[in-house]
Amino acid sequence: MAGSVQKRAGFKGAFLEGWEIFKESLLGRIGLTLILIFALMAVASFIPPMIDPMYHPMHGVDPEISFSTGPSLRHWLGTDFMGRDILSQLLAGARVAFMVGVSAAFMSIFLGTSIGMIAGYMGKAVDTMLMRLADMIMVMPTLLVVLILSSLFGQLNIWTIVLIIALFRWPGVSRVIRSQTLSLKTRPFIEAARVAGASHFRIIFRHIMPNVLPLSFLYMTFRVTSAIIIEAALAFLGFGDPGTVSWGMMLQWVWKTGHMFKAPYWLLPPGICISLITLSFYMLGRAMDEVLDPRLRKEADAS
Amino acid sequence: MALLEIEGLSIGYGTRNGLLRAVEDVSFTLEAGGSLGLVGESGCGKTTLGMALMGLLPPNGKIMAGKILFEGQDLKESTEEQWRKIRWRKISMIFQAAMNALNPVHRVGDQIAEAISTHRPEMPEREIMERVAELYRLVGIPVERIKDYPHQYSGGMRQRAIIAMALACNPRLIIADEPTTALDVIVQDQILKEIKKLQEKLGLSIIFISHDISIVAEVCEDIGVMYAGQLVEWGPKEAVFENPVHPYTKALLASYPTLMGERERLRPIPGEPPNLVSPPPGCRFCDRCPSAGKSCKSQAPVWAQVGPRHKALCNACS
Amino acid sequence: MELRRYIIRRLIQIAIIFYVILTVLFLLFRLAPGDPVSRMVDPTMTPEDAQRLISQLGLDQPIWVQYLYYVKNFFTGNFGHSFHYGKPVVEIIWDRLPNTVLLFTTSIILSALVGVFLGKIASWHKGKATDAVLTIGALVTHTVFLPWLALIMIWLFGYKMGWFPITGMISEEVWLDPESGIFAKALDVAHHMVLPLSTLFLIHFGAYLLIMRSSMLETLKEDYIITARAKGLSEKVIRDKHAAPNAALPVVTSVGLSLAFSINGGALTETVFTWPGIGRELVFSVSHNDYPLAQASFLLIAIVVLLANLVVDVLYAYLDPRIRY
Repeated sequence: MAGSVQKRAGFKGAFLEGWEIFKESLLGRIGLTLILIFALMAVASFIPPMIDPMYHPMHGVDPEISFSTGPSLRHWLGTDFMGRDILSQLLAGARVAFMVGVSAAFMSIFLGTSIGMIAGYMGKAVDTMLMRLADMIMVMPTLLVVLILSSLFGQLNIWTIVLIIALFRWPGVSRVIRSQTLSLKTRPFIEAARVAGASHFRIIFRHIMPNVLPLSFLYMTFRVTSAIIIEAALAFLGFGDPGTVSWGMMLQWVWKTGHMFKAPYWLLPPGICISLITLSFYMLGRAMDEVLDPRLRKEADAS
Repeated sequence: MALLEIEGLSIGYGTRNGLLRAVEDVSFTLEAGGSLGLVGESGCGKTTLGMALMGLLPPNGKIMAGKILFEGQDLKESTEEQWRKIRWRKISMIFQAAMNALNPVHRVGDQIAEAISTHRPEMPEREIMERVAELYRLVGIPVERIKDYPHQYSGGMRQRAIIAMALACNPRLIIADEPTTALDVIVQDQILKEIKKLQEKLGLSIIFISHDISIVAEVCEDIGVMYAGQLVEWGPKEAVFENPVHPYTKALLASYPTLMGERERLRPIPGEPPNLVSPPPGCRFCDRCPSAGKSCKSQAPVWAQVGPRHKALCNACS
Repeated sequence: MELRRYIIRRLIQIAIIFYVILTVLFLLFRLAPGDPVSRMVDPTMTPEDAQRLISQLGLDQPIWVQYLYYVKNFFTGNFGHSFHYGKPVVEIIWDRLPNTVLLFTTSIILSALVGVFLGKIASWHKGKATDAVLTIGALVTHTVFLPWLALIMIWLFGYKMGWFPITGMISEEVWLDPESGIFAKALDVAHHMVLPLSTLFLIHFGAYLLIMRSSMLETLKEDYIITARAKGLSEKVIRDKHAAPNAALPVVTSVGLSLAFSINGGALTETVFTWPGIGRELVFSVSHNDYPLAQASFLLIAIVVLLANLVVDVLYAYLDPRIRY
C-alpha cells in the first residue's frame, strides 16, 4: 500500500517537474496554444447548425446560393459549390481531426506499448517473432494499404479507417518501448519482484508499464499527426467516409470541382488547418521530448 | 628555465548555480624531461587543469587568474590561431582509449597522419606514412594494422595507437589523462611501462593525470596531490610516499595498496568534497580531516615548506 | 567480404518479407466479400476470353491450387488483364515503373543531400538567426499537408506565373516532333518534373535537416572531436571531416525508416500532378475498381520500397566501417 501511494506521489512530482521544463520551451507553448484553439474550434462546430439549419456542414445548403461564393457577412468564409457554409465545414473538420487523431493514436500506442513490453520482457522467440512482424509492417506504406483495403471492402467508415491506421502504426512505438523494457528488465526492482513471486502479467503491467508510459505518451503526439495526415490524404483522394466532413474531404471538393484556381477562400483554409494542427502536435512532441530526454536537459544545464 | 611554470592558476566554469571554481590558485613547475603525476578524486580539477594546458576548456570554462608559462611564454594570452600551432606540436595529449578518442569512421593510420600533415603541410605523403609506420613500431603495434579502423583494434592496441598519435609531432610535453583506466591490469602495466620507456628514450616531459596514486607512482618523478580544486601537496615521489604531510595525501596512500611499503588495510576516506560554487573559507578538507584543529575551518591554509622541493597546503601539520 | 555477407542476409530477409506480403494480399483478395472471379475478370470480356483467363489464373480450382497459380503467375509476370486499359497489366506496370523510380529517387537523394548540408549549417550557427530560420523553415515545410502544397504549387507557379506545366510528364508537341533530339526531350521531362519534384523535396528535406542538426550537435560533444581539436585541426576540418560523417549516419537510418512514408507522398504527388507513375496508377485503379491493376501496382510498390531499403542499408554499411568490416 505504502509503496503504491509513494509511487503516485512520485508520479505527480515528476509530472510537475516536467511541466516546469515544458513551460520554458517556446515550441511547446506555441504548440499547446494552437492545439487549444483547434479544440475550441471542434467544440464550436456544434454552434452553426443550431443557429440555422443551412449552416449544417454536410446537409445545410443556403437556399439562395447554388454555386461557390466568396466571403460575405452571411458566410464568413464563403460557400462551396453547392452553397454550403465553408466556416461550419472547417469547424466540423476540427472535430473529425481530433476524433481520428486521438483515437487512432491512442489505439496504436496501446498496441505498441503492450507489444513492445511483451517482446522486451519475454525475449527469445516471442521477441523475434513480434519484432519481425514489426519490421514487416514498418515497410508498408499505410496510406496505400488503406487504399487497397477500401477497394476490396468498399467504402470504409471513419472508425474502420481509424482502426486500420492504428493497426499499421504501432511498430515504431513498440521498438522504442521494447528497448526501454530491455534495460528495465535488468534493474534490481524487477529482479526483486520476480523473486518475490510476482506473475509475468503483474511485473509487466505493475512494474514495467509505469516506467515506459511517459515515453509512450511522447510517441502518442507524433502518432496523432500521422493519423490526421493519413485520414486527410485518404479523404483527399476520395476514399474518406462520405458521412463526415473532414478537411481532406473539403480539399477533395475544391480540387475535383475545379475550383482551385478561382476560389482561394475555399482552397486555403482546410490546407492551413491540416498543416497547422500537424505542426502544433509536432511542436508539442518536440517539447515533450526535451522534458523526457535527460541528455537534452543536461545540455541546457551546461550552457 | 623550467619547461612549464604554472603560477596561481584559477579556472572557473559558469553554471546555472553560479561560478564553479574548478581550479584555484595552483602553482608548480615542471623541468624539461621531468614527469609530474597529478592525483585526486574525480572532480578535483585535475582534468580541467590538463585541458587548460591545451587551451581546450569548454565554452563555459575560463581562466580567472594566474599564468601558464610554457618555454617562458604565457599561454593564457594565446589567440586561437597560436593555440592551434602549440597543440600537438609542442604539447600533446594521450586520451583514454575507452572513451572514444579515435574517430570510428576513419582509419587509425590516417588519423595519426592527419596530426602530422596538419603541422607539417610541406611533408610529402609518402614520408608521413613512413613516419606513421615508425611510430607504430615505436609503440609496438604491427605495422600492417595501419589501415584498420578503431573498432578492429583491441583496447590495449587502441591505447598504444593513441600514444603513437601523441608522439607524432615530437612534442615537448605530453599530458596523459587517465590513459590506462579502463584497461585490464596486465595491459595497464604494459602501457605504463611503454610510457615510461618512451619518456626516457625521447626525453619527453609528462604530466600524468590519474585518480590512482599507485599508477602515478610507477611513471612519475614528482607527485602533485589535488583536492577540491587546489593543489594540496607537491614534491618528489619518494618524499611524498615516505613522508606524506597533508592529511588527504595520507588518506589517499592508505586507500590504495602500497607499492613500496607493506600491504596495509585499505581505508576509504569518509565524507564528500565541498561544493565548489561556494567553497568554505578555511581548509577544504577539514570536514573529512582526522587531525583538523579549531582554526582549520575558518582560516585559509598556507603553504608549509616541508623539504627543499616538497610543500603542503595545511595549517595543522607544519 | 563482411559487406557481401551482410547484403546477402538482408536480401534473404527482404525476400521473406515480400513473400509474406504476396501471401497476405492473396488472402485478402479471396477473403473480401464478393466473387473473386468478377474481381479478376473484366465483365466486358467475351465468355470465351473470360474462360481462358479463368483457367489461366486457376480461378476454377480449389483455393490452394489458386494460390500456387497466383505465385507462379507472379514470377512469370502474369498479372491478368486491366479492366480499364484492356491490356495486360504487366505492360502498363513496366511502362509506369521508370517514371516512379525517376521521381522517387531524385526527390529522396536531393532532399537528403540538401537536408544534410543545411542541417550542418544550422548546427554551425546554433542559436543564431541562420539556425532559427532554417529550423523553423524545416518544421513548417515538413508538416505542411502534401496534397495541399501540391495544389498551391500548381496554383502559384503553374497557373498564376505560368512557369511550369501542371500535368503529365511530357508535352506531345515536343515528343511527336521528329526534329527534337534526346536533349530536347530530356529537357521537356525535366520541365514537367520541376513542380512535383519540388513538392516532394519541400516535404522531405525538413526532417533530414532537423535530424542532421541535432545529430551534429550530439556528435560535436564526442571525445574524438576533442582529440581532433587537440591535434590542432581547424574548426572547418573538425566539422566537415570528423563530425559530419558520423552525424550523417542517423540521417541515413531515417531515410530508410521513412521510405514507406515517402512512397505515400509519392503516390499523392503523382496523383495531383497526373505524373504517369505506379502510385497514380494504384489510386486510379482503386477508384475505378480495376482490381488486377491495383493488385499488381501494390506489389510493385512494395518491391520498390523493399529494394530502396536495401540500397539505404548498403549505403549505411558503406559509410560506417563498423558494419563494413
